[in-house]
Amino acid sequence: MSASDPTLGAVVADDELRDRLRRFADALIPAAHGMPAAGDVGVADGQLDKVLAVRPDLAEPLARAVADVDPADHLTSLARLRDRDREAHDALLLVVVGGYYIDPDVRRRIGYDGQQPVEVRPEIIPNYVEEGLIEPLLARGPVYRAVDDIERR
Amino acid sequence: MKADVLIVGAGASGGVVARRLAAAGFDVVCLEQGGWHDLDEFPAPRPEFELMARKQWAHSPNDRALPEDYPLNEDDSDIATLMFNGVGGSLILYAGDWSRLHPSDFCVRSQDGIADDWPISYEDLRPYYEQTDVEFGAAGLGGDPAYPAPFEPPYPPLPIGAGALRVARAHTRLGWHWWPGTNSVLSVNAGGRRACAQWGTCLWGCPEGAKASTDHTHWPQAIRDGAKLITGARVSRVLVGPGGLATGAQYVTEDGAEHVQEADVVIMAANAIGTARLLLLSAGPGHADGLCNASGLVGRRLMVHPFANVMGLFDEQLRTWQGHIGSKIVSYEFYETDERRDFVRGAKWSLAPTGGPINAALPTRAGGSTWGPDHHLHMRSYLGRGVSWGIFGEDLPDPENRVTLDAELTDSSGIPAPKITYRVGDNSRRCLDFQIERAKESLLEAGAYAVEEERLMRHSGWHLIGTAMMGTDPERSVVDGYGRAHEIENLYIVDGSVFPTSGGVNPTSTIAAFAARTADHLIATRNGQRVPA
Repeated sequence: MSASDPTLGAVVADDELRDRLRRFADALIPAAHGMPAAGDVGVADGQLDKVLAVRPDLAEPLARAVADVDPADHLTSLARLRDRDREAHDALLLVVVGGYYIDPDVRRRIGYDGQQPVEVRPEIIPNYVEEGLIEPLLARGPVYRAVDDIERR
Repeated sequence: MKADVLIVGAGASGGVVARRLAAAGFDVVCLEQGGWHDLDEFPAPRPEFELMARKQWAHSPNDRALPEDYPLNEDDSDIATLMFNGVGGSLILYAGDWSRLHPSDFCVRSQDGIADDWPISYEDLRPYYEQTDVEFGAAGLGGDPAYPAPFEPPYPPLPIGAGALRVARAHTRLGWHWWPGTNSVLSVNAGGRRACAQWGTCLWGCPEGAKASTDHTHWPQAIRDGAKLITGARVSRVLVGPGGLATGAQYVTEDGAEHVQEADVVIMAANAIGTARLLLLSAGPGHADGLCNASGLVGRRLMVHPFANVMGLFDEQLRTWQGHIGSKIVSYEFYETDERRDFVRGAKWSLAPTGGPINAALPTRAGGSTWGPDHHLHMRSYLGRGVSWGIFGEDLPDPENRVTLDAELTDSSGIPAPKITYRVGDNSRRCLDFQIERAKESLLEAGAYAVEEERLMRHSGWHLIGTAMMGTDPERSVVDGYGRAHEIENLYIVDGSVFPTSGGVNPTSTIAAFAARTADHLIATRNGQRVPA
C-alpha cells in the first residue's frame, strides 16, 4: 500500500521549487515561542523528501501551489489558492505541516512521542467506579423507551 | 464447481454468515474484490502515520483510489460515503464502536407515526447480539440503563482516559446519562487475539489485531471449515435462471478475465451501496429495473447518519492522541423522541480523542488552523488537550436519497459506478442543532475553556443503510425479516441495506447480529430451501 522511494522528492522538487517552498513555509511556521522555523527543520529539503516518499500524490499539486503563492503575503495567498485550487492548497499545507511534525526534534519540543503502545490494565478499578459515578446512573433507572405496550403497525 | 452458498463480499456480514454456514457443513464460496491485509501493513507505528492516514488508508474510496476500489459520483450528495474493500471490509477502517440499536428503533412508525417499523424486534435480535458480542470481542461495562437487561458485554471496559473522566463527572453533575462505551476492541488477550495497546489509530487499521474485523475474527475459522474465499474477484452481476431463481454470479478477476460461480443460494453482503449497485447492474429479462426491484425500492432510502462534532479544549494535557477511538464514553440522554422538541427521534453521542500533531494543525473535525508565530500557540492549546463529542441521530428514510448507476463513471473493470444522491433532511438538521447546543453545555460543564463545533461533516458517511429494506409487504419492501428477497427466494441480503430505519447508533453490531440470525435460519430451513436445478 505504501510508496517508499526516498529519491522521489529529489526528482520532483527542483531547487527553485524548494526555495519558494522554504520561504512560504517559514511564513506559515516561523521561528517563535521556542520552536524552530519550518525551513530550518528541512520542510523544503530532507523532510520534503520524506513526505513525498510516502505521499507521491502530493508532488504535482504541490508544484502548482508553490508556483502560485507569495511568501510576502501568505494569508491572502492561501485564501486565494483555496478558492481556485483546493487540491493544491491542501497539498501545500500537508507538505509543510507533515514535514514539520514528523521531525523528531519538533516532536520532542511539543511533547509528542508518536503513536505508542500502552498496556491496558483491566484489573485496575476505573476512576469512575472508585468515585461513585455509576451509582447515580443506576439509581435513576432506565433511560430507554420501553416498547412492550406499543402496538406495532 | 457449484457451491451450496455464494457470498458476495467478505466484510462484516459476509464473514459472519460464512463462518456459521461453513461450520454447519455448507459448501461456501465468497467473492471479494479486495485482498488480505497483514497487521504490519497498518501505518500506526510509523512517523508518517498521519500522512498515510489521509491517502493510502483514507476512508473514502475516491480519495484512496486503489485498483480494488470503485469510484462514486457524489456530486449530488451532501455527505461523502466511506468504505473499505478487502477481506474484513470496512471493519478494517471502522472505529470499533459496538452499539446495539435500542428497542424503540425497531418501531419508529408505531411510536412516532413516521418511517416504518421493522418486521423484527430488539428481542428477536438480542440472542444474536449476545453471540456476536462474543465473536467480535466486545469490551464494555454491563448494566447500561440505556438498554434493557441483560446487557453484559463479555470483556471488561477499555480505559476511558482523563478527558472522558472529566466529562463523566460533568454528566453526573448535570444528571445526564453517560456510560463507558462498548467497543469491539479486546481489553484482554482472547481467542488468539491480543488486547488493545491504545495506539489511537483504530480508524486506519489496528496493528495489534485487537480491534475486531472478520479477516481475523471469522474468516480463518470459516476457511478451516472449508469455505473458499476468492480475493481480487469483482462481481459484475448476479445471475438468474429461467426458473426465476438465482444461479450464481459473474465476476471479473484482476487479469480482466470473466468467470462464473454457480451456487444454490446467493447472499449479498456488499454494503448498502455495493449491494444496491449489483442488484441494479443485474437487470435483465423479467427484471428490467434490476433484481428484486418490483417494489422500486432497490437503491432508495439510503441513510448515512449526518454527523456533527463538538470539541472541548482543556487546560490540562490529556494526551488525547492515545487510546481507542470508537467511544470512550457514550450518552443517550437525548436519544428518544421528546414531544417538546421540534424534531422526532434523537441522537447518540460518542466521545472520541482528537489525534496527533498533523490533525491538531489541520483538523479533520471541528477546529481551525493558525499560521504565523501564533501557530505554535495554537498547537500548544490543541495537541492532546481536546476531546470531541461525535453526534449522529436517526436519519429518516427518504426515497429520493438513493443509489443509482452512473451513466459515465466506471470502475477499473469498466463496470458502471454508483451515483449517490443524498440530501440531509430537515429533521436531521433540527436534531443536530439541538444536540450541538447540549454537547456544548456538556463540555463547558466539564471545564472546557473553549468549544468548537462542526455542524455537518461532509466526510462522515461511514454508516451505509437502507437501500433494500426488509418488510412483510412485497410491494413496500425488498426482503423479508430474514433478509430473503421477496422475488427470488434463494437470494438473501445480510448487510445494512435491509434496515427499514437507521436508528441513531453505529450499525455494525446490528448488521452482524442480523447476519447471524439469517445464517441460523438458512441452516434450520436448509431442507426446504428451493434451489435451481
